[in-house]
Amino acid sequence: MNDKPVTLYRHMKDLPSTHLLGSGTAMCSGCGGLEALHEIYDIIGEKSLYVNAAGCMTLLSVYPFTPFRGSWLYTAMASAAAGAQGVRDALDILLEKKQMKADEDMQVVVLSGDGSAYGMGLSATSSAMERNLDFIYICYDNEGYGNTGQQYSGATPHAARTSTSKGSSGFRGFKKDLFSIWAAHKPTYVATVIGSEPVDLARKIEKAMQLKGPRLILALSPCPTGWDYDPQDSVEIGKLAVKTGIWPLKEYVDGKVRHTKLPKQRLSVDEYLKRQGRFNHLYQPDRNDKLINEIQIDVDDYWSEVVE
Amino acid sequence: MYRIRFHGRGGQGMKTASRILGTAFFLEGYEVQDAPRYGAERRGAPIFAYVRAAKQTIHERGVIQQPDLVIIADESLASVSSAGTLIGIDKHCVLLIVSNESPESWKHRLNLDCTVLTLAYEQLDIHQISYAGIVCTGAAARLTGIISNETLQRAIKQELAAFDESVVANNLHQALDAYKKMAEHEACVQKSQEISADNYQAPEWITLPFDDANISAPAIHASANSVQIKTGLWRSFRPVIDYQHCKHCWWICSTYCPDGAINVDDSGQPQIDYDHCKGCMVCVAQCPSHAISIIPEQQAEVAAPEVTAIPGDKR
Ligand SMILES: Cc1ncc(C[n+]2csc(CCOP(=O)(O)OP(=O)(O)O)c2C)c(N)n1
Ligand code: SF4
Ligand SMILES: [Mg+2]
Repeated sequence: MNDKPVTLYRHMKDLPSTHLLGSGTAMCSGCGGLEALHEIYDIIGEKSLYVNAAGCMTLLSVYPFTPFRGSWLYTAMASAAAGAQGVRDALDILLEKKQMKADEDMQVVVLSGDGSAYGMGLSATSSAMERNLDFIYICYDNEGYGNTGQQYSGATPHAARTSTSKGSSGFRGFKKDLFSIWAAHKPTYVATVIGSEPVDLARKIEKAMQLKGPRLILALSPCPTGWDYDPQDSVEIGKLAVKTGIWPLKEYVDGKVRHTKLPKQRLSVDEYLKRQGRFNHLYQPDRNDKLINEIQIDVDDYWSEVVE
Repeated sequence: MYRIRFHGRGGQGMKTASRILGTAFFLEGYEVQDAPRYGAERRGAPIFAYVRAAKQTIHERGVIQQPDLVIIADESLASVSSAGTLIGIDKHCVLLIVSNESPESWKHRLNLDCTVLTLAYEQLDIHQISYAGIVCTGAAARLTGIISNETLQRAIKQELAAFDESVVANNLHQALDAYKKMAEHEACVQKSQEISADNYQAPEWITLPFDDANISAPAIHASANSVQIKTGLWRSFRPVIDYQHCKHCWWICSTYCPDGAINVDDSGQPQIDYDHCKGCMVCVAQCPSHAISIIPEQQAEVAAPEVTAIPGDKR
């Protein structure tokens, strides 16, 4: 971490004081996904075109209202990356035919939930990377199919309760590693972010905007509705995800993975889990030591392999 | 048949309230329909749920248009026209509002000639918000005169089986308290006849001419016009900044606010845009100098005039 990156964002004070994304949207009160999106939107700016796969954020634009200042297009859950190819091609044709000035060009952005990004839309996304499509993919990861009542998805963490994984053990599967799935395609840029770490987030968006090609911004998005906690805890829970090491903040660029924030003294996973109703069954009626331990060991194993 | 409609906000437990009432009717030997209805909005936004219960097969479908009992869990919704709380209320209907004001005042204010009842609450507590629904279930059960105390308890235990004991106990306590308070109005709700298909009045459709895609496609040619939607109406509590203690570190509250509803004025002071603040209270939790407090919306309406939003961005 010797190469000091040149950035406009050194402290929280450097973050924008006015916000570009319109308020008045239909996201839940306290939505961690919306928090991340408005921070990201401030940096990407209004010359952007969003291709949105079905999910909670589809409801950002409900005719005749939109919070976006640029364009927005809605696609089916599996097809946002294909939609992005279409609009990128259309923009390129307009540029080539000189029907659009070079400075009117727009950043093409896919916006999808984890249901699309980790599952239904993965095939179209993989193909878009294969074609080296010039786009940014933002996934707000609320670890389930939020819009339809929080069924489990490929992003649901081990042991979490969802509406399709109840009982004393919760979800029996494991969260997919989308960061590595993307990195294996050798795209331009892959980064994890979270709205509760806005400086780290701003720097990563700033960097992504200076690059071309496929770029992923994977935002863990605390969701009061699906994760079952008081909306005012959204930021606190996000910070705990980082402090416990459950959500590593990192980036992949030029073939290398670098962690952008090393939790000095990692808190125990308890601090994160016990704040959320979706993990209640790990503590009530009795503490499930075995399952909590498994989660802790998983996190410890991850960090034991991190050398910076 | 009984037709009962519950109005509240996402997060107040209205869906569960109607579900439990439905189960209670079922346990009393009724055939039941119960359904929640949400619009595009979410937690904090107006939602409603409804129950039909009858001794014979229920043929009616869809949202209840002619209710026998309407319960409004959050009195601030009565004035929100998009919440549709008053739809179909006629003379025969009973309206119960959770409110500390008198039934007469509501009757006058809403210009209604039906029976209006109120259920007083003690102190508004933001942490008790999810119990708003169960209070309504308890009250509704008594008002129908059909559901016994024991059945109500069974229905609650059955529907909340997945929750821990303390949650169930709290729900029972709240429901039974409301059940007791409604004793003098027991069985005041009158059931009504099923609406017959013979009397069905078809809606007045308007047939639109076929237009080209560039005209008929729902394209929005505006920039950030979502600000016209006042999501501030979702709130039942509001955060208030005490400028005596505010250290002007706007980058904290203004950045964390999920809705971008905290703007910074020219003097570097954060200003909450109450037209759009949904009342999540993330700012309250994150303010390092504890300069933001929470007050019930009703209190704020009397105390301070609405602060107008600082329009858009200045970049
Ligand atoms: C092919 C397809 N299957 C199912 C749906 C219904 N659907 C709409 S939104 C949604 C949930 C999407 O989950 P996610 O992508 O994680 O976004 P979130 O709702 O959590 O924001 C589903 C299943 C759909 N629109 N398309
Ligand atoms: S369900 Fe979760 S992700 Fe979806 S709008 Fe609500 S808080 Fe946000
Ligand atoms: Mg999701």
